[in-house]
Amino acid sequence: MRLPRFEYYAPETLEAALSLLEDRGEGAFVMAGGTDMMVKMSHGRLKPKTIISLKSIPGMDMISFDPANGMMIGATTRLADILTDLRIETHYPALIQAVQTMANVEVRNMATLAGNICNAAPSADSAPPLMVMNAEVSLASVRGERRLPLSDFFRGPGLTLMQAGEIMTSIHLPAPQVGRGASYMRISARCGVDIAAVGVGVEVRVQSGVFSEARIVLGAVAPVPLRASGSEASLIGKPLNDETLELVSDMAAHESKPISDVRASADYRKRMVAVLTRRAITQAYERSTARHS
Amino acid sequence: MKHNIKIVVNGDEYSLAVDPWRTLNEALREDLNLTGTKLGCGTGDCGACTVIVDGRAVSSCLTLAVSVDGKSVTTVEGLAPSGDELHPIQEAFIKTGAIQCGFCTSGMEIAALHLLSNNPSPTELEIRKGLSGHLCRCTGYNQIVEAISVAGEKMKKCCHEEERS
Amino acid sequence: MKEYSIIGKDVPRTDAEAKARGSALYTDDIRLPGMLHGRILRSPIAHGIIRSIDTSKASRLPGVKCVITSDDTPKIKYGNWRLFPETQDEYPLAVDKVRFIGDEVAAVAAIDRDTAEEALELIEVEYEELPGTFDVESSRAEGAPVIHDYCPSNVSVNRKIKYGDIEKGFSESDYIREDTFSFQAISHAYLEPCASLAQVDLDGRITLWTSTQTPYIVQCLLASTLGMRENDIRIIKPYVGGGFGGKMELRPWEFCAALMAKKTGRPVKFTLGREEEFLAGRRRHPMKIHSRVGFKKDGTLVAKDLRIQLDGGAYNAMGPTATFLCGNFGAMLYRYPNYRFLGEHVYTNKPPASAMRGFGAPQSLYASEVQMNIAAEELGIDPVDIRLKNAQVSGDQIPDVATISSCGFSESIRAVAEMSGWYEKRKSLKPGQGIGIGCYSFISGGVFNWFNTQYPFSAAEVRVFSDGTAHLLTMASDIGQGSDTVLKQILAEELGLRMEDIRMTSADTAMTPQGDLGTWGSRVTLMAGNAVIDAARKIKEQLFGAISARFNLNVIHHVECKNGRVQATARPDYGMSFGEAVAMVQKANRGEPLFARGSYTPRGKGLVTPAFGFGAQIAEVEVDRETGLVKVKNMWTAHDCGTVINPRSVEGQLAGSIQMGLGYALSEQMVMDGGRTVNVDFADYKMPTAMDMPPSEVVHVDTYEPEGPMGAKETGEGLASPTAPAISEAVYHATGFRCKDLPITPEKILKAI
Repeated sequence: MRLPRFEYYAPETLEAALSLLEDRGEGAFVMAGGTDMMVKMSHGRLKPKTIISLKSIPGMDMISFDPANGMMIGATTRLADILTDLRIETHYPALIQAVQTMANVEVRNMATLAGNICNAAPSADSAPPLMVMNAEVSLASVRGERRLPLSDFFRGPGLTLMQAGEIMTSIHLPAPQVGRGASYMRISARCGVDIAAVGVGVEVRVQSGVFSEARIVLGAVAPVPLRASGSEASLIGKPLNDETLELVSDMAAHESKPISDVRASADYRKRMVAVLTRRAITQAYERSTARHS
Repeated sequence: MKHNIKIVVNGDEYSLAVDPWRTLNEALREDLNLTGTKLGCGTGDCGACTVIVDGRAVSSCLTLAVSVDGKSVTTVEGLAPSGDELHPIQEAFIKTGAIQCGFCTSGMEIAALHLLSNNPSPTELEIRKGLSGHLCRCTGYNQIVEAISVAGEKMKKCCHEEERS
Repeated sequence: MKEYSIIGKDVPRTDAEAKARGSALYTDDIRLPGMLHGRILRSPIAHGIIRSIDTSKASRLPGVKCVITSDDTPKIKYGNWRLFPETQDEYPLAVDKVRFIGDEVAAVAAIDRDTAEEALELIEVEYEELPGTFDVESSRAEGAPVIHDYCPSNVSVNRKIKYGDIEKGFSESDYIREDTFSFQAISHAYLEPCASLAQVDLDGRITLWTSTQTPYIVQCLLASTLGMRENDIRIIKPYVGGGFGGKMELRPWEFCAALMAKKTGRPVKFTLGREEEFLAGRRRHPMKIHSRVGFKKDGTLVAKDLRIQLDGGAYNAMGPTATFLCGNFGAMLYRYPNYRFLGEHVYTNKPPASAMRGFGAPQSLYASEVQMNIAAEELGIDPVDIRLKNAQVSGDQIPDVATISSCGFSESIRAVAEMSGWYEKRKSLKPGQGIGIGCYSFISGGVFNWFNTQYPFSAAEVRVFSDGTAHLLTMASDIGQGSDTVLKQILAEELGLRMEDIRMTSADTAMTPQGDLGTWGSRVTLMAGNAVIDAARKIKEQLFGAISARFNLNVIHHVECKNGRVQATARPDYGMSFGEAVAMVQKANRGEPLFARGSYTPRGKGLVTPAFGFGAQIAEVEVDRETGLVKVKNMWTAHDCGTVINPRSVEGQLAGSIQMGLGYALSEQMVMDGGRTVNVDFADYKMPTAMDMPPSEVVHVDTYEPEGPMGAKETGEGLASPTAPAISEAVYHATGFRCKDLPITPEKILKAI
């Protein structure tokens, strides 16, 4: 119940935020929407000495898009604003599929995509679709800025490649391309609001009726969102049919390394990886062909 | 160190000195004595603490009071125009039987206000989606869904009449 | 049916506006000058001896005003079954031993909640951990750890019911069905966490505002545990955010608030957190049910042998009643000419289970209903038809236990089959779709006086005034179900007044008449309603006498209260306004105010209840055969609650029951790791949301309960039972998977199909 004792700053520039973070060192945490941090703090799992809110930095909540360079989503962009962005709905529907299942209206009015990524929960809904769409994240520190593929970002539950003193400033998605389609499918015990028991993101490229590229990422079945490379490889060169789907989905189940917990057993999770992989590939395929026309 | 913040709650401006770890829920309930906003779980899962901050419905239990400095907050106490009148959402909740124990009610009404401001004619499914972060153990939700639909109709009519006059 | 002016109408709840405005005060909303905040230290281990407790560091923390352990208390045990003191097994704070994770060990009161919380971390407790036992089999095994010294077997209560000749019954059966069922614990999950606020006056008397269903029980048990007199304790029930059975006992924080208020001279408030509620809170009993049922070829029931073991957790709580009622419900719904029941309440090192909406019926009836469905299939009879063949009717008896008075059970079954299109759908649904039926019966309040109250079961005082108004005082407790509105409706109807003419004071033990056993077992409408009518009729006698004298009426005239007037029925002009009539009586009595007391205590009504509600429900589901996810598409309900006093309220209760039944069937469970409750927040305790609720249609079967106020009896609680078996049968119809251990999870379905 009791929140830890911390200092709170809401700097108005990124530079100020970065130097504060550098200055306070260990014990300083960056807050965007705060929804995950507040729960962790109230359960005693996070005890910051300093909280640096990014919400007063102007422009950091922007979403920008251009057909050549793709999409940029700022670190303090709220999930609710992603959901109502027609450009995202048109070009990145798999991201919408993930965001609309995240938490509830109130939390989506506060929480951010960057926060969901930095929290690095194995069940984070946003990670699989972003990873299959080749998302990158921008990290800034007083030493400068770097950009990383999201697929390299996660290191374990709550662990990422972010270094001390770094702040995630934005998330980037490459420009939409003809012939590609992505999908995110997830399952949980309750249809309203729930933490995913399994989530599967798929992006495919279809050329001449066969899959020419594929990325498959499995959520909540390993310590980090898991790239199913074997399944991806086995999809290449094949057409969409029951045989392909069975082969690839079985392989995805095989590649997953779920645990049993309060949300589902490992067995069930493996089975659902197969079901959702099949469904997500099918939908991604449909989207890739829809984009042709 | 306490932070001096100014917030406008239901149209009234307040100056408060708050610890950084004080939640908006605590500030409203304990500092401002606005106890209509409830605390049901403290983890953003039940919706009982919902208030509107600058036009967005948020969980007051997950919001630091200090982060609301300079912002405008609407709570259940801000819905009714006076002691004699009720907001159409409140009227509809009363009339349809959407209120039993009442502990989820203020959060539900605020969620309804947020929903209807963004979508004046929601479908039943949209209402249910809008409420999916709000738990109720008494009503089974159906009369609440009905209330929001009734309130939406009424609010559209009111706006319509205002526009006409 | 009699024409009423207020009964049977959709009267808005009298508390709705205050709740809609956010001005209704719940316990945690109340703050008093100088108030301290309390927190409880709970046991981190499931079973152990307390070697020592050192509170000195906590006491020295600035802002801490009081720290108590059991050594600061009179160490008097309590429990709701006062009639049998040996069942009273709980101390407000653990004495020498802890028995579950969450058992209350010490308490702190400080100037704010954070300081109190911080102080908890400074209390040093040394435990000697003992082996624990976490299910009924291990608790009953040879050499199992003994949880309470007084009870070496760990079986704290057993209950037997027997009638007919069970062996003969089975020997005459053509078909015998034997199954074992198991049930998970679920949480009441009321939205308002428990809260209590105590204040002590200059004479040392205590006022306690508390979120309770049973002010009278709290008053008595708080007095006995503090070694005080009952009349020195005043319990006030503010608005309560739901209870469902989880707030009907004395709770340690009520005791601690009162004791610490005495010790500090300042008001003390405790408000529980949700995590605490889930970790240590009361819950519905996990059970093992073994049931053997015998039928004739044509589907006629011949015999039932029922054995139930309740996993009671560390203390009895309301477990004895649940044990008792399981046996009663096992014999309900259908005519079992030969019946035997053995129920055992078993201690384990888990948080205590207690009363929860349905009180043994959801488990007991699930077993009955699933077995009816299996039997129907194996005997080649439609599930609806086999029920109609065996359905109880008015006048049926459970020997020495209960006699059924009004009963609209068969009508309910027929109505629900009709409205759902049962026979057609049973044949025509596609694979993956299914339809199933479940039925229930429930009590309208309990008869067996386990609390050993010395007062009437319910009481009411009615005061009337010359301005045409009335004041109703009753200790009955509205915890959200709407009983204040219903009692006002009953009084308004009796006195011919409007709702707005009635002021009401309820659930304040110092101001409202003794006594009332509280809100549980669906007792309030029938029992408190009868008390209100009793008081109202005494008032009417006086008013009628005055009218008779004033207009020199022939003694055979009928006089009535109607539309705000008191008048001769045949000659309404021989009458006057209600207020004038009151003034006249008051004058005749030389200024004495006109008031009356009424009461109700069931007598000669067997051991269980004065009246049973009945009903039947049908669920239609769709099962995703790949994921095992179940979507409930539709629910149809037909039920018999006697006269419907407030249709909107009844329908709201019904929908709320479906929500709870849906969760029980499909998603809710307290996941345990040994003695630890694992899912302690709403993210992982999966209660159905607005998105999960199916559309629902309802028919009220028209009956009249002679023992009930204006013919009414229970509603809303019994309905907690049929949803799970109806969904279970629908899932079977859709997939061929028959679930005998709730909940019906996707995993179980997939494993089976």
